[in-house]
Amino acid sequence: MAETTRHLTVRIKRFDPETDSAPHWEEYQVEAEPWDRVLDVIQKVKWTIDDGLALRRSCAHGVCGSDAMRINGRNQLACKVLVKNLPDNTIRVEPILGLPVIKDLVVDMKPFFDHYKSVMPFLVNDEPPPTTERLQSIAARARFDDTTKCILCACCTTACPPFWGDRKYVGPAAIVNAHRFIFDSRDRAAAERLEILNDAEGVWRCRTVFNCTEVCPREIKVTQAISEVKRALLTGDVGEIDASAETAAAAS
Amino acid sequence: MSTTVRAPKAYRPGLFTRLADGLRSSYGIGQWSWLIHRVTGLGILLFLVVHIIDTFFVVAYPGLYDHTVSLYGGRVPWILDAQGNPVYFAPLRWAFRLSELALIACVLFHSLNGVRVALVDLTPRGALFQKQMFGWVLGLFIVIMLIVCYFVLVPLFHPPVFWNFPTEAVGPPPSAP
Amino acid sequence: MRVSGLVLVFLALGHLCITHILNNVEVINYAFVAERWANPRTGVLWRLWDLTMINLAVLHGFNGLRQILYEWIVRPGARKLVGTLIWSACIGLIGIGSYAILNFRKDEDYLRRFREANPPAVTEPSLVDTTIPAPPALATIPSLVP
Repeated sequence: MAETTRHLTVRIKRFDPETDSAPHWEEYQVEAEPWDRVLDVIQKVKWTIDDGLALRRSCAHGVCGSDAMRINGRNQLACKVLVKNLPDNTIRVEPILGLPVIKDLVVDMKPFFDHYKSVMPFLVNDEPPPTTERLQSIAARARFDDTTKCILCACCTTACPPFWGDRKYVGPAAIVNAHRFIFDSRDRAAAERLEILNDAEGVWRCRTVFNCTEVCPREIKVTQAISEVKRALLTGDVGEIDASAETAAAAS
Repeated sequence: MSTTVRAPKAYRPGLFTRLADGLRSSYGIGQWSWLIHRVTGLGILLFLVVHIIDTFFVVAYPGLYDHTVSLYGGRVPWILDAQGNPVYFAPLRWAFRLSELALIACVLFHSLNGVRVALVDLTPRGALFQKQMFGWVLGLFIVIMLIVCYFVLVPLFHPPVFWNFPTEAVGPPPSAP
Repeated sequence: MRVSGLVLVFLALGHLCITHILNNVEVINYAFVAERWANPRTGVLWRLWDLTMINLAVLHGFNGLRQILYEWIVRPGARKLVGTLIWSACIGLIGIGSYAILNFRKDEDYLRRFREANPPAVTEPSLVDTTIPAPPALATIPSLVP
């Protein structure tokens, strides 16, 4: 079944702010090849059926993170889902949940990026740099390797049940990016970031639902990163590299 | 002449729409365990409130306490027979036994999954094994519940334990049978 | 939450085990509770158990409820209201619960009448140890309600 052209029924949640007060579902019939991605299918809808359909996409290769949407009730990058892997011939496509919908599949990412900015996602180090580079051991680099992979697609934050209810929760993506610098041996602002995340709307709003880990298109172990931040807050200990991470890095 | 163009208003679904939309998602067992944990927690809290109030009767009105807890034995405290004892109603006994079982199930699941959540948060590599840990939680839950079911349901097939309620009359004690 | 939860695992599951598995719930009545709480040797321990359990359980439960509500109610004023209601309920329940545990006195009159209505050999609850003489009652609260 997978290797032939498929006749897909694409159900898209449409919202036009100029005419609609609430979103509604529209259905489109599209022919798709097994090697097509869901992004191609949606673009086929836009290019051949209804050019009013709004969506974001940029690189279309799973790197830029702009085409995050809810496909069959699950946050995914449309450019990383192949038609041949779809379980049946009907696809439901919705905007990601919890952020205001501007039009169709385009959501207002401002709250998301505000949370991202709030954790100071940049290297802070006022010490005079050495004549070469700020060197780091392999183990010290491996300590935060997983969280460097984030592409800020917002899949995790908008899959997070606490975030659906509470927009003020910083969300997993911001915590992942804080983790990336908190555990960086070259950074000097870990204490400040931990202070920001120690807020009631910070890391403690996490309920270990694991939806973030489940959806991350970069396969970042988000909940693991969040729990590492929680433990750093409890113990006040960020500098030390635990032996298990070191052996894991050595093994891989 | 100039016209003002306003940015159209973005749509944000209401609370219940967001909750319903969210629960429609197809994520893994993490979301299920979170949901069950939450629902069982609320159920236990409801029982806790009732239970604290009924236990307060122990100090205030011993007689009322006995009448209240006689519900567990399937007796209807507000309908008394000629001897002043609550009448026995078998379906009520079944209903209370089954709710009791549900309560134990709630507490047991909440406890086991609570240990899992604590391990995820407090141990260095707990979050990497959450699915395996949920498997253990389910396994332990089923095994323990089977044992509990035996102890809780077997008395249903035996005659109920009755005790007589003291009469309020202050006169001479009734003669023993 | 994690700490109170981990303590409660033992206290609450132990409590359920005693009341629902080791004993049939049908035998639990005033005499059973009186024997546990007013026992001259182990009464203090039972009361300590129940007191710890009630305080931790109410705090844990209401804090959980507050967290759930805070997740869905975000306006600061509404949150303050919810928080106040929850902490009042919390204090009220801990108050009556602790009062019940700490101020419990065996109602000898009620127990005497209970024993008269139930001859020991037939329906005496298993935990009531009749070999230990009961201490003199400190206060006798009359049974107000049948």
